Amino acid sequence: MKVEGSHTIPAPRERVWELLNDPDVLARCTPGVSKMEAEREGFYRATLQLSIGPVKGRFEGHMEVTDSREPEAMTLTIEGSGAPGGVRAVGHITLEQEGEQTVVSYHGQPQISGRLAAVGARLLSGVAKKLAGQFFNRLSEES
Amino acid sequence: MYPEAFSYHAPSTVEEALALLERHGDDAKLLAGGHSLLPAMKLRLSGPTHIIDMKHLRGSLDYIRDEGDDVAIGALTTHRSLERSELLRGKLPVLAETAGCIGDMQVRNLGTLGGSVAHADPAGDLPAAVLALDAVLVAQGSGGTRTIAAGEFFHGFFETALEAGEILIELRIPTLAAGSGSSYQKFFHPASGYAVCGAAAVITPDASGNVASCRVALTGVSEGAYRATAVEEALVGKPFSEELAAAAAEHAADGIEPLEDYFADATYRGHLAKTFVKRALLTAWERSG
Amino acid sequence: MAKYVGARQKRVEDPRLITGNARYLEDVQLPGMLHAAVLRSPYAHARIDSIDTSAASRLPGVVAVFTGQDFADLNPLPCAWQAGGVTNNANTPRVLEIDKVTHTGMGIAVVVAEDRYAAEDALAHIEVAYSVLPTVVDAKKATEAGAPQLHENAPDNICMTWECGDQDGTDRALGASDVVIREHLTNQRLIPTAMEPRGAIGSYDPGTEEYTVWMTSQAPHVMRLLMTAFVMGIPETKMRCLSPQVGGAFGSKIFLYPEYPMVAVLAQKLGRPVKWTESRQENYIATTHGRDHQTDFEVGALRDGTITALKVTTYANLGGTLSTIAPGIPTSLYGSMLSGTYKIPHLHCQVYGVYTNTAMVDAYRGAGRPEATFVIERAVDLVARELNLDPAEVRRKNFIQPEDFPYEPASNLLNGLAYDSGEYEKALERALEQVGYREFRQEQQEARQQGRYLGIGLSSYVEICGVAPSKWVGLPGEGWGAGLWESANVRVHLTGKTVVTTGSQSHGQGLETTMAQVVADELGIPIEDIEVKHSDTMSTPFGYGTYGSRSAAVGTIALYNSVQRIKEKARKLGAHMLEASEEDVVYQDGNVFVKGSPEQAKTIQEIAGAAAVAYDLPAGMEPFLDDTAYYDPPNCTYPFGTHICIVEVDTDTGRVEIKRYLSVDDCGPVINPLIADGQVQGGITQGIAQALYEFAAYDDSGQLLTASMMDYAIPKAEHLPHFENSHTVTPSPVNPMGIKGIGEAGTIASAPAVVNAVVDALSPFGIRDINMPLTPQAVWRAIQEAGR
Repeated sequence: MKVEGSHTIPAPRERVWELLNDPDVLARCTPGVSKMEAEREGFYRATLQLSIGPVKGRFEGHMEVTDSREPEAMTLTIEGSGAPGGVRAVGHITLEQEGEQTVVSYHGQPQISGRLAAVGARLLSGVAKKLAGQFFNRLSEES
Repeated sequence: MYPEAFSYHAPSTVEEALALLERHGDDAKLLAGGHSLLPAMKLRLSGPTHIIDMKHLRGSLDYIRDEGDDVAIGALTTHRSLERSELLRGKLPVLAETAGCIGDMQVRNLGTLGGSVAHADPAGDLPAAVLALDAVLVAQGSGGTRTIAAGEFFHGFFETALEAGEILIELRIPTLAAGSGSSYQKFFHPASGYAVCGAAAVITPDASGNVASCRVALTGVSEGAYRATAVEEALVGKPFSEELAAAAAEHAADGIEPLEDYFADATYRGHLAKTFVKRALLTAWERSG
Repeated sequence: MAKYVGARQKRVEDPRLITGNARYLEDVQLPGMLHAAVLRSPYAHARIDSIDTSAASRLPGVVAVFTGQDFADLNPLPCAWQAGGVTNNANTPRVLEIDKVTHTGMGIAVVVAEDRYAAEDALAHIEVAYSVLPTVVDAKKATEAGAPQLHENAPDNICMTWECGDQDGTDRALGASDVVIREHLTNQRLIPTAMEPRGAIGSYDPGTEEYTVWMTSQAPHVMRLLMTAFVMGIPETKMRCLSPQVGGAFGSKIFLYPEYPMVAVLAQKLGRPVKWTESRQENYIATTHGRDHQTDFEVGALRDGTITALKVTTYANLGGTLSTIAPGIPTSLYGSMLSGTYKIPHLHCQVYGVYTNTAMVDAYRGAGRPEATFVIERAVDLVARELNLDPAEVRRKNFIQPEDFPYEPASNLLNGLAYDSGEYEKALERALEQVGYREFRQEQQEARQQGRYLGIGLSSYVEICGVAPSKWVGLPGEGWGAGLWESANVRVHLTGKTVVTTGSQSHGQGLETTMAQVVADELGIPIEDIEVKHSDTMSTPFGYGTYGSRSAAVGTIALYNSVQRIKEKARKLGAHMLEASEEDVVYQDGNVFVKGSPEQAKTIQEIAGAAAVAYDLPAGMEPFLDDTAYYDPPNCTYPFGTHICIVEVDTDTGRVEIKRYLSVDDCGPVINPLIADGQVQGGITQGIAQALYEFAAYDDSGQLLTASMMDYAIPKAEHLPHFENSHTVTPSPVNPMGIKGIGEAGTIASAPAVVNAVVDALSPFGIRDINMPLTPQAVWRAIQEAGR
């Protein structure tokens, strides 16, 4: 399963970079997050309540920022699990300045395990797109 | 196959149901026919801690009424009732036809119009018919009722215009112009029976054999059901023919990204959209006049 | 005078099944029974670093939580069929895994609770730390350099290599052929999908130190042997195994699974019976799968259609660990049958059995023979296509002829055995006539002109069943670690009521009916007076169970032999009662009388009574009419036939509709045509399913994507045609009834018939092959690509 896309954020690149590295902003933008704490620089633990269509459950996990190349690219590693299943994803994010705006592009191949993979295969790309869409919309609002 | 524990409520009125929804918020789910919710719960994909069963509301929300210019249908009307309704077969045949394509008889005996539409499964059948019929949806919340046009109702992946704390209570569907023909053509997924692609078409000829108006809606192809307006624009005002229908159907996937899954990739699904729109148009035209 | 054998006798099993009175495993309730739920690995390849069960054990309703360490004193499950040198490379599951998992669904821990809901809830509270490892799911890729290694003792993930036939001769013959056709075929992974998922209940009596285990098993005696002797290290006499009504199996319930010894040991540890049943997801993810071959073949032929040689290389995916008889399926039951119904002078088959991070693969209806038939029947069609010959003609040209029997396939493929009897051309002609072959070709031409694509596909098959002579399966290179004889005990009680107990097991075969039919005819007693009991190790003689279409050709022959001895004893006792000499007296239709005086007969009921009270028996005769027979067949049996499928392909969507499906099968004399038809139709359905609908698909990380019936497309009645089934009858010389098996023939024949039909339909597009399953997308894509 491949997840990729891009969103335009109405803010300059440095500002978007700042937001993406701020745990409080990340907590506000990630849909369903009820808790996000930085355990150390670039490593965040989170609890997420997911409710999309038939998938409804609590996920616990962490998010780690690596390969940071300010302000143009970073790698985000996400690992989480809950009753519906588990997710392990490595997402590559790039930021490109376009005038006064920033185009944020991402791509990754999440690995889903558990029930979500077993019985929810047709839902996966839709859930991923929706979550990504919600995240970037909120990020736009923050900027 | 063993769901998580939950508290069960069975309110007797819509107001009671709304109060329960407000109290429990995100922890609650409404139970109508249950054939989308219960499997998700049994698979532990979904773990609502409060279930609000609408079974006692069936008395007041299960009806199909001829109101002259509209047909009013209660949200808890079952697919089986829609399928067998003489009134619908006469006035809104595509709705009966679509309902008859859902699942199997056991599912149709329990599944409801409102439940299905509010759930907005991207592969559900009824949203296509609801869009093609330009229905008006009536929602009730703690602040009162409001109406939502079908074109504004479906927002994408299991998402509708319903706010948290609102219950869909009725659909009002305008009767079709005289001489209209309609059809729902579905590619059944061989395992689940869901729509890999479902196309609903309503077409009205004018006196000279041109297309006076038409509405085409698709489900199963994208994140949510949608009106194929590019197809409609390619038809209106023109003399109908098989070639015209085929050319118009080429626009079936314009502006959307087809879903990809194991059974059908985006290319194939896009192709199915065109094929089934064409079939729906041809059958609808044949039934018109 | 046969009154019952050959009749469409309604099944005695059906009233209880239809009225809901059958007792399945789920219906068994024992006082104090506890419920178990197994925590299964969500990862396909991982080390288990730690497990913390403390939170789970504290939940209300939970009695205990156990992990692999708690079962460390038990042996891993045995692999009983070690073909091709698997001895060193065998890796099998444990009751619960301790260090590592090699496919999703392997058991990590078990919760035992007062009810199943509490047990399921507790699973979520067990904390497991995994180190996730890289995965490989493709058998061929798993053998390539750089692939993740699953087991230390299996370099390149190769479990075994096996071959049969004559490589040099085959290579030379290919070189000397007029044409050589090469093709790659996939025989995709399938999920057996019995209607009833698996389960087991364990119970322990501390007074006698005996276990009782209920299980959904096709072979309770074998389970008992494997569990006691190989896993638990206790005498086999200390366990009773029984299968209640089993709701279908198709092979997936032959094997020993971790949960069976698990519940036995749990019952002993906890002092209460313990029940475990699987959900459909568990069944799909962790019960055995079938097929999963990747094959490259070369077939040589002369211009006139004579096939000169066949060379086959197969990568067989065995899964992450070995199931009980996994290595036997892509070897003895596959390679040996690649000659099919044809006189092919040179053959060679090389098989690699490979470990990958997928569920265990083992026998599934046909077990190796559908895979073999698919190769040869597709090869024959490709030969016909290449040489522009009628596929029926190529078959005729190469058939083994009736005078060639017993026929030993070339290159010692069958390791000493020979096909018993056959009239392959007769079955083909019958089928062609019934389908109206010539007329169809005409219709096909006309349809093409209208832009409609009809196709016809043939499949002429022979299969090996009625497994098997014990000596043969024990041969080097075969390696099945046990015999394959069968048993039956027949007792005629005082009033003439007869009870048969059989080592076979009935899970849909209708043995309670067919075996009674045989006894009723042989003994001449009403069929209502006969009961057939099975599936309880305490009350039946040891038998190897039901699979490989053996309960007629082996199980029923054991019964037949037993009944003959009963008849002979009754005849002698009858003579004594008539005060006549034995030579003058006959047994006929349930009566014993002096030849020529049938009106002065002793009935079997009278004789049974006399035997039971024993007031006056001939000298040396023991009381009671009771006989136990053990029958070891001298050969397998080889049913055959021709199936024909007609399809129409909707080129707009790629959907294939089956317009007609007809079968002509020959299993020798048919005991019960009603049951035989059911077997054939069910079998054909599963072959059609493989051709068009089903595929157990894994993603690259070893997650099963089709883990429910929402995605795994079991065909429904609306997808199937009205079947046209008939028989020819060519008795087998192997046993006194001349019977062969029929349980798997439908599945063995059908997939190539369907695929041949679709390829035939699409030949105007130049399409020569499409990988199974021929889903609408696959067919549509093939058409698009052919257009370029």
